[in-house]
Amino acid sequence: MSAHGLGWLAVACYVGAEIVAIASLVTPRPRLAWLTPLLVGAGLALQFRDLLGRARALDSVPYRTLGGSVSLFGWMLGIAFLVLLLRHRERAIGPFLIPFVVVTTAVGLLLPDAGTAPAADAATHGALFALHVTLGILAYAAFTFSFVLSVLYLIQDRQLRRRRTGILFARLPALEVIGRMNRTSVTIGLATLAASLGIGLYRAEIFWQSLADPKIAWALITALVYGFLLWMERRGWEGPRVAVLSIVGFGVVMFSYTVVNVYLTTAHRFR
Amino acid sequence: MSAAGDARLLLLGWNFRTAALSVRERVAFSSDEIPEALRRIRDEGLVTEGVIVSTCNRSEIYGVTERSGASETLTRVISEWRGLDVREAAAGSFTREGAEAARHLFRVAAGLDSLALGESEVLGQVRTALRVAREAGATRSVLHRMFESAVAAGKRVRTETEISRHPLSVPSIGFELATKIFGDMSERTILVLGAGETGALFAEQAAGAGVGDVRVANRSIDRAEALAARIRGRVVPWEARKRALPDADVVVGTTASPEPVLSRDDVDAAMRERRGRPMFFLDLAMPRDFEPGVGELYNVYAYGLDDLREVAEENRRRRSREVPRAETILEEDLARFLTWFGNLAVVPTLTGLQARLAALRDAELARLPEAERDRYRSFADAIASKLLHEPMRRLKAEPDASRKLDRVEAVRHLFDLDQE
Repeated sequence: MSAHGLGWLAVACYVGAEIVAIASLVTPRPRLAWLTPLLVGAGLALQFRDLLGRARALDSVPYRTLGGSVSLFGWMLGIAFLVLLLRHRERAIGPFLIPFVVVTTAVGLLLPDAGTAPAADAATHGALFALHVTLGILAYAAFTFSFVLSVLYLIQDRQLRRRRTGILFARLPALEVIGRMNRTSVTIGLATLAASLGIGLYRAEIFWQSLADPKIAWALITALVYGFLLWMERRGWEGPRVAVLSIVGFGVVMFSYTVVNVYLTTAHRFR
Repeated sequence: MSAAGDARLLLLGWNFRTAALSVRERVAFSSDEIPEALRRIRDEGLVTEGVIVSTCNRSEIYGVTERSGASETLTRVISEWRGLDVREAAAGSFTREGAEAARHLFRVAAGLDSLALGESEVLGQVRTALRVAREAGATRSVLHRMFESAVAAGKRVRTETEISRHPLSVPSIGFELATKIFGDMSERTILVLGAGETGALFAEQAAGAGVGDVRVANRSIDRAEALAARIRGRVVPWEARKRALPDADVVVGTTASPEPVLSRDDVDAAMRERRGRPMFFLDLAMPRDFEPGVGELYNVYAYGLDDLREVAEENRRRRSREVPRAETILEEDLARFLTWFGNLAVVPTLTGLQARLAALRDAELARLPEAERDRYRSFADAIASKLLHEPMRRLKAEPDASRKLDRVEAVRHLFDLDQE
């Protein structure tokens, strides 16, 4: 099979799952309800095999490269979707979340591969490094989830205020449910980002003898934004304002993952 | 004779489309009267099996009959029993036979024949009708299977289409909107202002749907207490309604007050105390109970009567759009039932046809000299056999269940197989 053949098969599974999810959103088909999780599950299994192949080629964790990290990002989103579906039976979120899984997985496959990656050095090797990156990507996946939920919250809020009780209104979960899921996502994201940051700061001191790095600064800004969001909620500011702040937070995450990673940092980046 | 004999499906009914209320209320049967009604029509020999579906909008008698003209006799029996003029009863009635009778029942069970399209209550009523008839010993295989199939089809329609999903009544829409904001309502508090008809309707619906805490405030505390006792809710003194606001997630206005009973400032103060947690205001009063502008406050959702009527109209349109899909499902399930029933009816019809020809042959042979009868009998049998072979083959091989049943009916009619 060609390079990343399994990865592309996974993308095909996710695209299939998205088509079924959209069709089910428009017209409920209880007999096909199992097809979306089945396709996502198959995609996750295939993508996992692809990530294993990357790891072998790199002789390191697969996410040491930018492509590998983005692919893992998509894989974790897929896992999160599956958990949400099986736990909460909230099928309506699928059509909005699966595209992120499709895009991140596909981008992960298109980005430069093991052949262009530099050999692993001491800073990019070992269990702590693996844990640092895994937690960081898990945090990003959780914030992406929060972003999708926040958009859905604003859509549902708008529909309620404009008296538009269409198909989407009927299918989407209650505002309270979306808000609760969002809270959980942000809490998980913040906790894992904090842990990743802690490990990262410790390793930066050891290997670079310095904490002056744009990526560290932006990770701290991300943590501050989401920390403020949770504080707002505790103060009782729940509702659309929290959703808007979550979207702003996701903007910071994306900026950190793209612009900062590619242009503003030299040592601390996925290659 | 069993249903597997010369059985035909029959329906005689009165519903909101065909009969005036004055007729419908005379032919309506309480659950206690249904066994007696079934006993009467079976004792008269009108039907071999019977089920009566009697609701506020319809009285329908389903039967399996072997008699022609059974519906006229049935109308007379029911009219005499209920003290109704036969012509009046007949004018408001409708009849269906064969596949059409079954199709009507399937449509009823699916809510396609209801006043409120797609309503779910009728499915339970059809199921109850079958149970009552079964307990009265009035059903055998045909109606039992027909009703079970209709209930299954009705369930399928409700699961696979949206025909029952969008509420139509104002309180139901209001309650659905509340669940779209708060999700699970079991931990929520609803404050109902006014204990009149609308207030009681909403409070009962909320309590029935499992809302954790339903509170009632009314100018006359006696009425509030009576309603609260009925729904196991709590009473809020009218003067304390503003103080009760911060605890309420949903506030429903149903009073007849000429002035708003809650101002924007009252709600603003409550929201501050709630620290911004969302509130839903449902104004079912005319004139309005809540000051305009309440819905502009942060995290406050407010709906009035006009909004709810708009949603009801939209929901009605949405339900109507589901009718073609519902009908496709019904036809699938109906075809299965009719195939089964059709197979049941073809064989006795063909046997009856052969018996009829044999009777004609014997009548003609009786006019011949005895010595020639055997020779002509063989001749007549050969012609009859050749004549019947192709129609029999085609009748048995007909794949369309409804058409097969219709053809069986046609054969019975053309050869007068239903004669007494």
